[in-house]
Amino acid sequence: MLTISSAVLQVSTSDITTYLYIAFFGLLFIVQFAFGTRLQSYFAINEIGRGLNKLKVMKDKARKDAIDYLVNVGKASNDPTQRVDQFLDYVTIMPVDIDPSGLVGKIDHVVTTNNDRVRTEVGALLNQTNPVTISISENLLEVATSLNQIHKIVRHFYLLGKKTNSYFTLVQLQMLMPMIIQEADALLNATDSFKMGEPVGDGIGPVVVSRLMAGKEKRVIAKDTMMAVTEYKGRKLYVLKADGPMAYVGQPGVAIQKIVGDMGVKPSAIVMIDAALKLEGEKTGEIAEGVGAAIGGIGVEKFQIEEAATKAKVPLYAILVKQSLIEAITVMRKEIAEAADRVTEVLNRVIEEKTKEGDEVVVAGIGNTLGVAQ
Amino acid sequence: MMSSVPGPDKKTKLLVYTIEECPVCGQKTKRAFAVGDYVTKDSSKCPKCSNVTRVSLVYAEGVKPSS
Repeated sequence: MLTISSAVLQVSTSDITTYLYIAFFGLLFIVQFAFGTRLQSYFAINEIGRGLNKLKVMKDKARKDAIDYLVNVGKASNDPTQRVDQFLDYVTIMPVDIDPSGLVGKIDHVVTTNNDRVRTEVGALLNQTNPVTISISENLLEVATSLNQIHKIVRHFYLLGKKTNSYFTLVQLQMLMPMIIQEADALLNATDSFKMGEPVGDGIGPVVVSRLMAGKEKRVIAKDTMMAVTEYKGRKLYVLKADGPMAYVGQPGVAIQKIVGDMGVKPSAIVMIDAALKLEGEKTGEIAEGVGAAIGGIGVEKFQIEEAATKAKVPLYAILVKQSLIEAITVMRKEIAEAADRVTEVLNRVIEEKTKEGDEVVVAGIGNTLGVAQ
Repeated sequence: MMSSVPGPDKKTKLLVYTIEECPVCGQKTKRAFAVGDYVTKDSSKCPKCSNVTRVSLVYAEGVKPSS
């Protein structure tokens, strides 16, 4: 009884701070309940704004790098600034896909038109005809265009989210920002490698194939694509890669179609060597084997290769060298370069296991062949 | 000019090297990358047998800056 009365006494005489304490937390709960999303939107807007500033710095640097390269290395006769700015906003309108029949051919046509236009315009801007310089300029402009697009899209959703006060738009963008910045950073780093003409990680396929082509007679098999014929343990190898040391990816799809179709070659296997994006936790330079067309891009080349292989009933084998996006588009790392010997061993084993003496085999080195001749 | 780019963790610098290989004796030499180097390019004379070497690889290696 005595204990209860003393407790009551304690509560009744408690400090005013206790009430303030309760009132503070009560108010905090009400504010959180009523204005929580607004507060979070405010934090998201700040974070996206900081990321957007970073993207702006990156796209301005890529644009400046491209202009500097055109002026200093390409010896552009006039100030290319205005032309570069027009170039950054140039759009490629993809064909309509509501009737998918023949869509790949249409995409190929649009993409080829765009690539031809880029090369012609860059060539006209420069006061020299060195194909390496022209190809590097093309790549630098492509990087600047990509960064410009990324910045524009992020800015669009940022302003839209702010304008409509859409919490979900802003939070989604906020969550994606680290990945977007990482990708933009990779693109920006790629400009350094391009300017120097250094082979990039994506060029590991061409590096392996260039060894098979060394000393052999080469011929142009498709646009920007070279082919040579060689031999390995009684098998006739048709080896192809993009024309280096220019920063080309070539047209391996057209090349394989020509070899299997026009040239009447009946290969027992098509082996493709390419770089593949690694998953987090996988080691750079690890080699993976598989089946199927090992080629990235918009899908046109992949379609052409699959079509040619299916029509001729030729198995497709893939040898992949794992790397991250930044490693694929920047200067080739030691771990990737040193995988070339192991890839050659795997290639030899695949040829020996899957084909027999007297057979014909197509070997394609897929990727950007900057700094890798043949 | 020695080419260097920031490494993946921003602290390491990547230095770019050219590997020359003698097609006759197989001797490999490593030197700093120079603009204009590319894989399969004929390069300097082999220090062992004086044959013309060929660029076999160009790659970047991470170097931690000494603090």
